[in-house]
Amino acid sequence: MSKRKCQLFPGSSERGVRFGLDGVTAQAPGAPGFHFARGSLLRLCLLLSAVNTTRGQAPAADDHEVLRASQERFRAVAKMLRPSLVRIETVGGTQPAAPQPPEKPTPTDPDEEGPPSPPRLQNPFRDAPGSGFVIADGPTTGLIYSADGYIVTSSFNFVREPALITVTLSDGRRVAADLIARDQVRKIALLKVDASGLTPPPWSTIEELHVGQSAVALGLGFGGSDPSLTVGIISAVNRMRGNAIQTDAKLNPANYGGPLCDLEGRVIGICVPMAQRAGELAGVELYDSGVGFAVPKHRLDTIVETLATRGSVYRGWLGFVIDPRSPDAAMILNIAEPSPAHAAGLRPGDKIVRANGRPVLHYGHLVQAIYMIPAGEQVILEIERDGIAFSAAATLARSSELGPLPELSEPFDPSTPVPSHEPEEAPEEP
Amino acid sequence: MTVKRIVAFLLIANHIAPLAALGGGFDRAIDAAMPRVVKLYGLGVGAQAGYGTGVVISSDGLVLTVFSLLIDARRVRAVTADGTHYEAEVVHRDNARQLALLRLRRASEGLLTPPSPPEGERDWETNSRSGDQDGTTAREGDSADGFAFFDLACGAAATDQAALRAGDWVLAAGNPFKVADGAEPVSVVHGVFSARTRLDARRQVKEFPYHGDVLVIDAITSNPGAPGSAVVDIEGRFVGMIGREVVSNLTHTHFNYAMPRDVLCECLNEATGVTPRDALGLAESGGERGVDPGIRLMRTAYRDIPPMVDRVRRGSAAELSGVRQDDVILSINGANVANPEEYDERLRMVAAGEGIDLVIRRGRNIVTIRLEPEKR
Repeated sequence: MSKRKCQLFPGSSERGVRFGLDGVTAQAPGAPGFHFARGSLLRLCLLLSAVNTTRGQAPAADDHEVLRASQERFRAVAKMLRPSLVRIETVGGTQPAAPQPPEKPTPTDPDEEGPPSPPRLQNPFRDAPGSGFVIADGPTTGLIYSADGYIVTSSFNFVREPALITVTLSDGRRVAADLIARDQVRKIALLKVDASGLTPPPWSTIEELHVGQSAVALGLGFGGSDPSLTVGIISAVNRMRGNAIQTDAKLNPANYGGPLCDLEGRVIGICVPMAQRAGELAGVELYDSGVGFAVPKHRLDTIVETLATRGSVYRGWLGFVIDPRSPDAAMILNIAEPSPAHAAGLRPGDKIVRANGRPVLHYGHLVQAIYMIPAGEQVILEIERDGIAFSAAATLARSSELGPLPELSEPFDPSTPVPSHEPEEAPEEP
Repeated sequence: MTVKRIVAFLLIANHIAPLAALGGGFDRAIDAAMPRVVKLYGLGVGAQAGYGTGVVISSDGLVLTVFSLLIDARRVRAVTADGTHYEAEVVHRDNARQLALLRLRRASEGLLTPPSPPEGERDWETNSRSGDQDGTTAREGDSADGFAFFDLACGAAATDQAALRAGDWVLAAGNPFKVADGAEPVSVVHGVFSARTRLDARRQVKEFPYHGDVLVIDAITSNPGAPGSAVVDIEGRFVGMIGREVVSNLTHTHFNYAMPRDVLCECLNEATGVTPRDALGLAESGGERGVDPGIRLMRTAYRDIPPMVDRVRRGSAAELSGVRQDDVILSINGANVANPEEYDERLRMVAAGEGIDLVIRRGRNIVTIRLEPEKR
């Protein structure tokens, strides 16, 4: 759409603005608002472009006017979406288990008989917080998803496993909420309150988004009834395997769970912490950094449907350990029983060469290929065993469904640096 | 709403273009903030930065900054936007709000011994004005009236504060990471005002003593050196000052916030004995000086020169009575003064509330001027 390509601001001159004014008032009468004919805008755009090419730099006064107008616009967005925002407060709960420090192999006496196997081998498949971030107990933000009481927010807000959740609606009513389910992969949580006639927000679609457009993130995490507001642009429209929009608005625990909106007051996505590694808290360390993520509507719809009908979504595990002694290949060292890898007929010594069509040359590639695939979904692995290639389908499982790792036939040298054993778990940052 | 505004509205709503292209839009804010902040250098210990930023809040050089180790230095230096070095004397400490009030004093002037310039700051000598050959040039621009400053308007109701609303653009001017070196202008960062909230925060592990209101902004200001930055809206109005680096207990994040103007005013109101705007002159200014009629003399380290008026502060008793730049003061209250030192000495003998009779040589003329005391 040429409307998007047209750069109005860089050179919109005094004259250009007047020109445009005529066009707009003539063709889009009524409130200066959110709906106008596309044609008129296109014409305005072209008009200004023409003027821009013939005029020099814009006078600062005009830039100033545009800035002032932009402030009004941000506020208008917050006001329009306020009815769909809820403040979430939680009671009880604890901090998630502190991240384990990277377990360094304990130096063992070489003369000692049978060195103990490193502790990680004994419990390698374990959900970890993914960050040392300490969660505060301040209020958080949610967004009305349906008029009959479904509310979407970020699973980040419930990592503490709170005993009680309350939601304050925009009209001031404070009601108890049930945590229906969580998606630990996309960091979305679904709440339900007993209420009706709620106001879901208007949504923008992914097709309308483009990199560089302005975006406003709203939150209620600082308390009070007026949303806090941060402004940025869309940095990317396809991140985390299509699960997230990226923005440079300052996202942090004050607005996780709140909406990222366009300047017409439509919701682009739900703000969540995300990272290219696993962990309930992974990504929160990026708060306020200018790298923030929001789950867009089309993904959210699928997620909400799953959460409402089938319950929580967990991270998916294959259930094998990659041999750290062969860093140039994803070679299986050991396989849990039972596990998806075991069910798929994989064996120690098998080399993974592709996962879901993506080439795998080492452990990191494997992580990249499957880190956003939740438990219950299938991964197609291409394997090399004794020079013969074949493919196998494995349905990822939750960590709690994995059995123990059998004893290794040959003793594993614990002094070898051990990368993470989990197929999708990157080593914890120290 | 003006028609122009409507158009701008439409442009914003639909085009959603990079605002970075709107460079000129922030001009007012930058022009207002830049000359009104000073770079501060003092004591740094461990993780605490030995540098910072301050906001000039009076024409006679009162500077508001945050309470930190920095101001405990034996000698705190301040560098104004034009690169001039000053000594900064701590005149008030506000532990409850973690603020401090300093007074700037020309490094080469007054009763303090001019410090020898540290290594690498050889420009100090040239910045401190030496007596000029003809005695008429080398003024500091048009700043004969004193420091450019933000009027906090503490007496007025907090009307302009109420005008700041969530979503307003704000700029913070300061010296994070002391990247502005020497006479370089400070750094400006931009963001929007997010929310006004109560600060429940801690510093490292200790609780932070201030629990009042703060302005949350989405510019990243929680950086060493940034505390003390002036925060202005796009009209150039002063709205707050970046506070100390803290971690919010509400979100457990490093908090990007400013102390609101009205809270700064509370600090000023408590600063007894400090007159933020002693513009009428002859007010007690504390310290060694008896009265301050608003006259700044030409000083030179090299030559003995008569007391020649270098600057007259705007609104001061001296200005109201017609003292001008380049006037040579011959006597105070009947006592002849041959040089700036004698002038200082005579001035100290004047009690607050007394008038001052000056005999002045102006060009070829001798004039007598009476400075009236401040009306109490």
